[in-house]
Amino acid sequence: MTAVVYIILEIIGYIFISIGTFFLLLASIGLIRMPDVYNRMQTATKATTLGALSVLVGIGLIDLWWLPKSLILAIFIVLTAPIGASALARASYKHGVKLWKGSVVDKYKDEKEED
Amino acid sequence: MDLFTIVSIILIIITVITAIIAAEMKDLLSAAIALGIMSLIVSILFYMLQAPDVAITEAAIGAALSMAVVIFAIRSTERWEK
Amino acid sequence: MKKALAIVLAILIFIVFALAFVKIPFGEKMSTYPHYYNPITNQTSNMSLPQHYLTYGKNDTGATNMVTAIVVDYRGFDTLGEVTVLFLASTGVGSLMYVENKVKKKVRRSNAVVETGSKLLFGFIILFGAYIFIHGHLTPGGGFPGGAVIASAFLLLYLAYPKFHAKHEKLSVSESIAGLTFVIVGLIGLIIAGYFLYNFLPFGLPTYLFSAGVIPLIYVAIGVKVGSELTAIVDSMMGVRE
Repeated sequence: MTAVVYIILEIIGYIFISIGTFFLLLASIGLIRMPDVYNRMQTATKATTLGALSVLVGIGLIDLWWLPKSLILAIFIVLTAPIGASALARASYKHGVKLWKGSVVDKYKDEKEED
Repeated sequence: MDLFTIVSIILIIITVITAIIAAEMKDLLSAAIALGIMSLIVSILFYMLQAPDVAITEAAIGAALSMAVVIFAIRSTERWEK
Repeated sequence: MKKALAIVLAILIFIVFALAFVKIPFGEKMSTYPHYYNPITNQTSNMSLPQHYLTYGKNDTGATNMVTAIVVDYRGFDTLGEVTVLFLASTGVGSLMYVENKVKKKVRRSNAVVETGSKLLFGFIILFGAYIFIHGHLTPGGGFPGGAVIASAFLLLYLAYPKFHAKHEKLSVSESIAGLTFVIVGLIGLIIAGYFLYNFLPFGLPTYLFSAGVIPLIYVAIGVKVGSELTAIVDSMMGVRE
Protein backbone atom coordinates (compact mmCIF):
# COMPACT_ATOMS: atom_id res chain seq x y z
CA MET A 1 0.00 0.00 0.00
CA THR A 2 2.66 2.47 1.03
CA ALA A 3 4.75 1.55 -2.01
CA VAL A 4 1.86 2.55 -4.29
CA VAL A 5 1.56 5.89 -2.46
CA TYR A 6 5.27 6.51 -2.90
CA ILE A 7 5.09 5.70 -6.60
CA ILE A 8 2.15 8.06 -7.06
CA LEU A 9 3.98 10.79 -5.15
CA GLU A 10 7.04 10.27 -7.32
CA ILE A 11 4.97 10.57 -10.51
CA ILE A 12 3.37 13.79 -9.20
CA GLY A 13 6.82 15.07 -8.31
CA TYR A 14 8.12 14.44 -11.80
CA ILE A 15 5.08 16.22 -13.25
CA PHE A 16 5.85 19.21 -11.03
CA ILE A 17 9.48 19.17 -12.12
CA SER A 18 8.51 19.09 -15.80
CA ILE A 19 6.13 22.03 -15.32
CA GLY A 20 8.91 23.91 -13.53
CA THR A 21 11.49 23.27 -16.22
CA PHE A 22 8.93 24.32 -18.86
CA PHE A 23 8.45 27.65 -17.10
CA LEU A 24 12.21 28.09 -16.74
CA LEU A 25 12.56 27.50 -20.47
CA LEU A 26 9.84 30.09 -21.13
CA ALA A 27 11.68 32.53 -18.88
CA SER A 28 14.92 32.10 -20.75
CA ILE A 29 13.17 32.51 -24.11
CA GLY A 30 11.49 35.64 -22.76
CA LEU A 31 14.85 37.05 -21.71
CA ILE A 32 15.91 37.00 -25.35
CA ARG A 33 12.60 37.97 -26.95
CA MET A 34 11.37 40.80 -24.72
CA PRO A 35 11.92 44.36 -26.00
CA ASP A 36 13.18 46.32 -22.97
CA VAL A 37 14.71 45.96 -19.50
CA TYR A 38 11.46 46.00 -17.55
CA ASN A 39 9.74 43.33 -19.60
CA ARG A 40 12.85 41.15 -19.33
CA MET A 41 12.86 41.71 -15.58
CA GLN A 42 9.29 40.51 -15.46
CA THR A 43 10.02 37.26 -17.28
CA ALA A 44 13.18 36.77 -15.29
CA THR A 45 11.34 36.96 -11.99
CA LYS A 46 7.75 35.85 -12.46
CA ALA A 47 8.34 32.82 -14.64
CA THR A 48 11.55 31.88 -12.87
CA THR A 49 9.91 32.08 -9.45
CA LEU A 50 7.10 29.78 -10.54
CA GLY A 51 9.53 27.40 -12.24
CA ALA A 52 11.89 27.19 -9.30
CA LEU A 53 8.99 26.77 -6.88
CA SER A 54 7.47 23.85 -8.73
CA VAL A 55 10.88 22.21 -9.22
CA LEU A 56 11.47 22.47 -5.46
CA VAL A 57 8.03 21.08 -4.62
CA GLY A 58 8.60 18.24 -7.08
CA ILE A 59 11.93 17.35 -5.48
CA GLY A 60 10.24 17.39 -2.09
CA LEU A 61 7.52 15.03 -3.31
CA ILE A 62 9.99 12.57 -4.85
CA ASP A 63 11.96 12.26 -1.63
CA LEU A 64 9.77 13.19 1.34
CA TRP A 65 12.78 13.75 3.62
CA TRP A 66 13.68 16.74 1.50
CA LEU A 67 10.22 18.32 1.64
CA PRO A 68 10.84 20.61 4.67
CA LYS A 69 14.17 21.80 3.29
CA SER A 70 12.76 22.45 -0.17
CA LEU A 71 9.79 24.29 1.32
CA ILE A 72 12.15 26.55 3.28
CA LEU A 73 14.07 27.18 0.05
CA ALA A 74 10.78 27.96 -1.69
CA ILE A 75 9.87 30.50 1.01
CA PHE A 76 13.27 32.13 0.55
CA ILE A 77 12.78 32.36 -3.21
CA VAL A 78 9.30 33.83 -2.79
CA LEU A 79 10.70 36.45 -0.41
CA THR A 80 13.86 37.37 -2.29
CA ALA A 81 13.05 37.31 -6.00
CA PRO A 82 10.44 40.12 -6.03
CA ILE A 83 12.60 42.29 -3.75
CA GLY A 84 15.61 41.97 -6.03
CA ALA A 85 13.51 42.59 -9.13
CA SER A 86 11.81 45.69 -7.74
CA ALA A 87 15.13 47.12 -6.55
CA LEU A 88 16.72 46.49 -9.97
CA ALA A 89 13.78 47.95 -11.87
CA ARG A 90 13.71 51.06 -9.71
CA ALA A 91 17.47 51.51 -10.01
CA SER A 92 17.35 51.23 -13.79
CA TYR A 93 14.43 53.67 -13.94
CA LYS A 94 16.26 56.21 -11.80
CA HIS A 95 19.28 55.68 -14.01
CA GLY A 96 17.26 56.76 -17.00
CA VAL A 97 16.64 53.56 -18.91
CA LYS A 98 13.86 54.26 -21.40
CA LEU A 99 10.65 52.26 -21.51
CA TRP A 100 9.66 50.35 -24.60
CA LYS A 101 7.67 52.58 -26.97
CA GLY A 102 4.63 50.31 -26.76
CA SER A 103 4.34 50.66 -22.97
CA VAL A 104 1.01 51.85 -21.63
CA VAL A 105 1.47 52.63 -17.93
CA ASP A 106 4.33 54.54 -16.27
CA LYS A 107 3.52 54.90 -12.59
CA TYR A 108 7.06 55.75 -11.55
CA LYS A 109 6.80 58.98 -13.52
CA ASP A 110 4.18 60.45 -11.19
CA GLU A 111 6.21 59.43 -8.17
CA LYS A 112 9.29 61.04 -9.65
CA GLU A 113 7.47 64.33 -10.11
CA GLU A 114 6.49 64.31 -6.46
CA ASP A 115 10.12 64.07 -5.30
CA MET B 1 33.64 12.01 -20.65
CA ASP B 2 31.06 11.90 -17.92
CA LEU B 3 28.65 14.67 -16.99
CA PHE B 4 30.78 15.88 -14.09
CA THR B 5 33.78 16.57 -16.31
CA ILE B 6 31.72 18.34 -18.96
CA VAL B 7 29.95 20.58 -16.44
CA SER B 8 33.18 21.42 -14.65
CA ILE B 9 34.92 22.26 -17.94
CA ILE B 10 32.05 24.57 -18.93
CA LEU B 11 32.17 26.26 -15.52
CA ILE B 12 35.95 26.70 -15.72
CA ILE B 13 35.63 28.28 -19.17
CA ILE B 14 32.97 30.70 -17.86
CA THR B 15 35.24 31.52 -14.91
CA VAL B 16 38.13 32.39 -17.23
CA ILE B 17 35.88 34.49 -19.48
CA THR B 18 34.42 36.47 -16.57
CA ALA B 19 37.91 36.98 -15.14
CA ILE B 20 39.11 38.40 -18.47
CA ILE B 21 36.02 40.65 -18.63
CA ALA B 22 36.69 41.86 -15.08
CA ALA B 23 40.27 42.71 -15.99
CA GLU B 24 39.58 44.36 -19.35
CA MET B 25 36.34 46.32 -18.81
CA LYS B 26 36.67 50.11 -18.86
CA ASP B 27 33.40 50.38 -16.95
CA LEU B 28 34.46 49.49 -13.41
CA LEU B 29 30.92 48.73 -12.25
CA SER B 30 30.55 46.04 -14.91
CA ALA B 31 33.98 44.74 -13.96
CA ALA B 32 32.89 44.44 -10.33
CA ILE B 33 29.74 42.57 -11.36
CA ALA B 34 31.83 40.23 -13.53
CA LEU B 35 34.04 39.62 -10.52
CA GLY B 36 30.98 38.72 -8.46
CA ILE B 37 29.79 36.26 -11.13
CA MET B 38 33.27 34.73 -11.17
CA SER B 39 33.18 34.21 -7.39
CA LEU B 40 29.75 32.61 -7.64
CA ILE B 41 30.87 30.14 -10.30
CA VAL B 42 34.06 29.37 -8.40
CA SER B 43 31.91 28.59 -5.37
CA ILE B 44 29.83 26.19 -7.47
CA LEU B 45 33.08 24.54 -8.55
CA PHE B 46 34.17 24.23 -4.92
CA TYR B 47 30.87 22.58 -4.12
CA MET B 48 31.30 20.14 -7.00
CA LEU B 49 34.77 19.27 -5.73
CA GLN B 50 33.16 18.36 -2.37
CA ALA B 51 34.34 21.32 -0.35
CA PRO B 52 31.02 22.79 0.88
CA ASP B 53 32.76 24.75 3.65
CA VAL B 54 34.81 26.71 1.17
CA ALA B 55 31.81 27.02 -1.15
CA ILE B 56 29.69 28.75 1.51
CA THR B 57 32.54 31.09 2.44
CA GLU B 58 33.28 31.94 -1.19
CA ALA B 59 29.62 32.60 -1.97
CA ALA B 60 29.15 34.87 1.04
CA ILE B 61 32.43 36.75 0.90
CA GLY B 62 33.27 36.72 -2.80
CA ALA B 63 29.86 37.25 -4.29
CA ALA B 64 28.26 39.47 -1.66
CA LEU B 65 30.66 41.26 0.65
CA SER B 66 33.74 41.90 -1.47
CA MET B 67 31.59 42.98 -4.41
CA ALA B 68 29.71 45.39 -2.16
CA VAL B 69 32.97 46.81 -0.83
CA VAL B 70 34.31 47.26 -4.37
CA ILE B 71 31.09 48.97 -5.46
CA PHE B 72 31.23 51.34 -2.46
CA ALA B 73 34.81 52.17 -3.43
CA ILE B 74 33.73 52.85 -7.04
CA ARG B 75 30.90 55.05 -5.82
CA SER B 76 33.22 57.23 -3.79
CA THR B 77 35.76 57.54 -6.64
CA GLU B 78 35.06 57.30 -10.38
CA ARG B 79 33.16 54.84 -12.47
CA TRP B 80 35.19 54.87 -15.70
CA GLU B 81 38.74 53.72 -16.05
CA LYS B 82 40.94 56.21 -17.87
CA MET C 1 54.92 46.19 -24.82
CA LYS C 2 53.36 46.38 -21.39
CA LYS C 3 50.63 43.93 -22.38
CA ALA C 4 53.06 41.48 -23.96
CA LEU C 5 55.15 41.57 -20.79
CA ALA C 6 52.03 40.92 -18.69
CA ILE C 7 51.06 37.98 -20.88
CA VAL C 8 54.56 36.49 -20.68
CA LEU C 9 54.51 36.91 -16.91
CA ALA C 10 51.09 35.25 -16.67
CA ILE C 11 52.29 32.30 -18.77
CA LEU C 12 55.39 31.95 -16.59
CA ILE C 13 53.29 31.95 -13.43
CA PHE C 14 50.94 29.42 -15.00
CA ILE C 15 53.87 27.12 -15.84
CA VAL C 16 55.24 27.38 -12.30
CA PHE C 17 51.85 26.58 -10.80
CA ALA C 18 51.28 23.72 -13.22
CA LEU C 19 54.66 22.24 -12.34
CA ALA C 20 53.87 22.60 -8.65
CA PHE C 21 50.47 20.95 -8.97
CA VAL C 22 51.63 18.11 -11.20
CA LYS C 23 53.57 16.73 -8.24
CA ILE C 24 50.46 16.59 -6.03
CA PRO C 25 48.52 13.40 -6.73
CA PHE C 26 45.00 14.63 -7.42
CA GLY C 27 42.47 12.17 -6.12
CA GLU C 28 44.93 9.30 -6.00
CA LYS C 29 45.78 6.96 -3.17
CA MET C 30 46.83 8.79 -0.08
CA SER C 31 49.97 6.74 0.55
CA THR C 32 52.05 9.27 -1.33
CA TYR C 33 51.31 12.02 1.20
CA PRO C 34 53.80 12.68 4.04
CA HIS C 35 53.41 10.56 7.12
CA TYR C 36 51.84 11.76 10.32
CA TYR C 37 54.27 12.93 12.97
CA ASN C 38 52.97 13.43 16.50
CA PRO C 39 55.04 16.13 18.21
CA ILE C 40 53.83 15.26 21.71
CA THR C 41 54.62 11.56 21.75
CA ASN C 42 57.47 12.11 19.28
CA GLN C 43 56.38 9.23 17.05
CA THR C 44 55.75 8.84 13.35
CA SER C 45 52.72 6.73 12.54
CA ASN C 46 52.79 4.49 9.50
CA MET C 47 49.66 6.18 8.15
CA SER C 48 49.71 9.15 5.83
CA LEU C 49 48.52 12.48 7.22
CA PRO C 50 45.00 12.67 5.67
CA GLN C 51 44.43 9.01 6.44
CA HIS C 52 45.40 9.60 10.05
CA TYR C 53 43.01 12.53 10.32
CA LEU C 54 40.16 10.58 8.78
CA THR C 55 40.76 7.52 10.94
CA TYR C 56 41.53 9.03 14.34
CA GLY C 57 40.03 12.51 13.98
CA LYS C 58 36.69 11.60 15.47
CA ASN C 59 38.28 10.03 18.51
CA ASP C 60 40.86 12.78 18.88
CA THR C 61 38.47 15.71 18.72
CA GLY C 62 34.89 14.42 18.89
CA ALA C 63 33.90 16.50 15.86
CA THR C 64 32.12 14.87 12.93
CA ASN C 65 33.11 17.55 10.45
CA MET C 66 36.75 16.82 9.73
CA VAL C 67 37.44 20.28 8.33
CA THR C 68 36.36 21.85 11.61
CA ALA C 69 38.45 19.36 13.56
CA ILE C 70 41.52 20.38 11.58
CA VAL C 71 40.80 24.12 11.59
CA VAL C 72 39.92 24.48 15.26
CA ASP C 73 41.68 21.58 16.94
CA TYR C 74 44.76 20.38 15.07
CA ARG C 75 45.53 23.79 13.59
CA GLY C 76 43.81 25.96 16.19
CA PHE C 77 46.72 28.32 16.65
CA ASP C 78 46.75 29.12 12.92
CA THR C 79 43.07 30.03 13.18
CA LEU C 80 43.87 32.51 15.95
CA GLY C 81 46.37 34.09 13.57
CA GLU C 82 43.81 34.23 10.76
CA VAL C 83 41.24 35.93 12.96
CA THR C 84 43.93 38.41 14.03
CA VAL C 85 44.72 39.15 10.36
CA LEU C 86 41.03 39.87 9.75
CA PHE C 87 40.96 42.13 12.80
CA LEU C 88 43.99 44.03 11.47
CA ALA C 89 42.32 44.40 8.06
CA SER C 90 39.18 45.78 9.69
CA THR C 91 41.24 48.21 11.78
CA GLY C 92 43.17 49.31 8.68
CA VAL C 93 40.02 49.98 6.69
CA GLY C 94 38.54 51.88 9.62
CA SER C 95 41.59 54.08 10.08
CA LEU C 96 41.91 54.73 6.34
CA MET C 97 38.28 55.67 5.86
CA TYR C 98 38.04 57.80 9.01
CA VAL C 99 37.26 61.40 8.18
CA GLU C 100 37.63 64.21 10.67
CA ASN C 101 35.04 66.58 9.25
CA LYS C 102 32.36 64.18 8.21
CA VAL C 103 30.92 65.06 4.82
CA LYS C 104 27.37 63.84 4.69
CA LYS C 105 26.35 62.34 1.38
CA LYS C 106 22.78 62.60 0.22
CA VAL C 107 21.19 59.24 -0.43
CA ARG C 108 17.77 58.55 -1.89
CA ARG C 109 15.24 56.64 0.13
CA SER C 110 14.88 53.10 -1.09
CA ASN C 111 11.82 51.28 -2.27
CA ALA C 112 9.05 50.32 0.16
CA VAL C 113 9.22 46.73 -1.09
CA VAL C 114 12.93 46.58 -0.37
CA GLU C 115 12.50 48.08 3.10
CA THR C 116 9.78 45.66 4.18
CA GLY C 117 11.44 42.67 2.58
CA SER C 118 14.80 43.32 4.16
CA LYS C 119 13.11 43.77 7.52
CA LEU C 120 11.51 40.34 7.03
CA LEU C 121 14.67 38.66 5.77
CA PHE C 122 17.13 40.12 8.28
CA GLY C 123 16.13 37.79 11.11
CA PHE C 124 16.19 34.73 8.87
CA ILE C 125 19.64 35.51 7.55
CA ILE C 126 21.04 36.11 11.05
CA LEU C 127 19.46 32.83 12.15
CA PHE C 128 21.03 31.02 9.21
CA GLY C 129 24.46 32.45 10.00
CA ALA C 130 24.11 31.44 13.65
CA TYR C 131 23.05 27.96 12.55
CA ILE C 132 26.12 27.68 10.33
CA PHE C 133 28.57 28.49 13.09
CA ILE C 134 26.80 26.72 15.96
CA HIS C 135 26.65 23.48 13.97
CA GLY C 136 30.18 23.93 12.66
CA HIS C 137 31.41 20.68 14.21
CA LEU C 138 28.55 18.64 12.75
CA THR C 139 27.73 19.98 9.29
CA PRO C 140 29.73 21.85 6.63
CA GLY C 141 30.35 25.43 7.58
CA GLY C 142 31.78 27.10 10.62
CA GLY C 143 32.84 30.40 12.06
CA PHE C 144 34.10 32.06 8.92
CA PRO C 145 31.11 31.34 6.63
CA GLY C 146 28.68 32.05 9.47
CA GLY C 147 30.29 35.39 10.23
CA ALA C 148 30.25 36.29 6.54
CA VAL C 149 26.53 35.45 6.31
CA ILE C 150 25.79 37.63 9.35
CA ALA C 151 27.76 40.48 7.81
CA SER C 152 25.78 40.10 4.58
CA ALA C 153 22.55 40.44 6.60
CA PHE C 154 23.84 43.77 7.90
CA LEU C 155 24.83 44.68 4.34
CA LEU C 156 21.19 44.14 3.32
CA LEU C 157 20.10 46.58 6.03
CA TYR C 158 22.67 49.11 4.83
CA LEU C 159 21.32 48.84 1.30
CA ALA C 160 17.67 49.09 2.35
CA TYR C 161 17.87 51.85 4.95
CA PRO C 162 20.03 54.80 3.93
CA LYS C 163 20.24 56.12 7.48
CA PHE C 164 21.09 52.81 9.14
CA HIS C 165 24.31 52.63 11.10
CA ALA C 166 25.70 49.79 13.17
CA LYS C 167 27.07 51.23 16.39
CA HIS C 168 30.84 50.90 16.34
CA GLU C 169 31.04 50.72 20.13
CA LYS C 170 28.78 47.68 20.25
CA LEU C 171 30.64 46.04 17.36
CA SER C 172 33.97 46.52 19.09
CA VAL C 173 32.56 45.18 22.37
CA SER C 174 31.21 41.99 20.77
CA GLU C 175 34.39 41.56 18.74
CA SER C 176 36.61 41.93 21.83
CA ILE C 177 34.50 39.55 23.90
CA ALA C 178 34.67 36.93 21.15
CA GLY C 179 38.44 37.28 20.79
CA LEU C 180 38.88 37.11 24.56
CA THR C 181 36.79 33.92 24.68
CA PHE C 182 39.02 32.29 22.10
CA VAL C 183 42.25 33.21 23.89
CA ILE C 184 40.91 32.36 27.37
CA VAL C 185 39.70 28.93 26.24
CA GLY C 186 43.12 28.31 24.75
CA LEU C 187 44.88 29.49 27.92
CA ILE C 188 42.74 27.26 30.14
CA GLY C 189 43.89 24.34 28.00
CA LEU C 190 47.47 25.56 28.44
CA ILE C 191 47.05 25.56 32.22
CA ILE C 192 45.36 22.16 32.41
CA ALA C 193 47.33 20.05 29.95
CA GLY C 194 50.37 22.07 29.01
CA TYR C 195 49.54 23.11 25.48
CA PHE C 196 47.44 25.82 23.90
CA LEU C 197 43.83 24.94 22.95
CA TYR C 198 43.75 21.62 24.78
CA ASN C 199 40.26 20.19 24.49
CA PHE C 200 39.43 20.08 28.19
CA LEU C 201 35.65 19.62 28.05
CA PRO C 202 34.10 16.14 27.72
CA PHE C 203 33.62 15.06 24.13
CA GLY C 204 30.10 13.69 24.49
CA LEU C 205 28.47 11.62 21.78
CA PRO C 206 29.46 12.40 18.23
CA THR C 207 26.78 13.90 15.93
CA TYR C 208 25.07 15.56 18.93
CA LEU C 209 25.00 19.33 19.35
CA PHE C 210 26.75 19.29 22.73
CA SER C 211 29.78 17.33 21.67
CA ALA C 212 33.38 17.85 20.63
CA GLY C 213 34.39 19.71 23.82
CA VAL C 214 35.56 23.27 23.24
CA ILE C 215 35.24 23.24 19.44
CA PRO C 216 31.67 24.67 19.29
CA LEU C 217 32.60 27.27 21.90
CA ILE C 218 35.58 28.45 19.86
CA TYR C 219 33.63 28.39 16.61
CA VAL C 220 30.82 30.51 18.07
CA ALA C 221 33.47 32.98 19.23
CA ILE C 222 35.06 33.00 15.76
CA GLY C 223 31.64 33.48 14.13
CA VAL C 224 30.78 36.50 16.28
CA LYS C 225 34.25 37.96 15.78
CA VAL C 226 34.27 37.54 11.99
CA GLY C 227 30.70 38.85 11.73
CA SER C 228 31.41 42.02 13.69
CA GLU C 229 34.71 42.63 11.88
CA LEU C 230 33.17 42.29 8.41
CA THR C 231 30.24 44.47 9.47
CA ALA C 232 32.70 47.10 10.67
CA ILE C 233 34.50 46.95 7.29
CA VAL C 234 31.20 47.42 5.42
CA ASP C 235 30.22 50.23 7.78
CA SER C 236 33.43 52.15 7.31
CA MET C 237 33.36 51.63 3.53
CA MET C 238 29.79 52.94 3.44
CA GLY C 239 30.84 56.32 4.82
CA VAL C 240 28.63 58.82 6.58
CA ARG C 241 25.25 59.35 4.97
CA GLU C 242 22.31 61.58 5.47
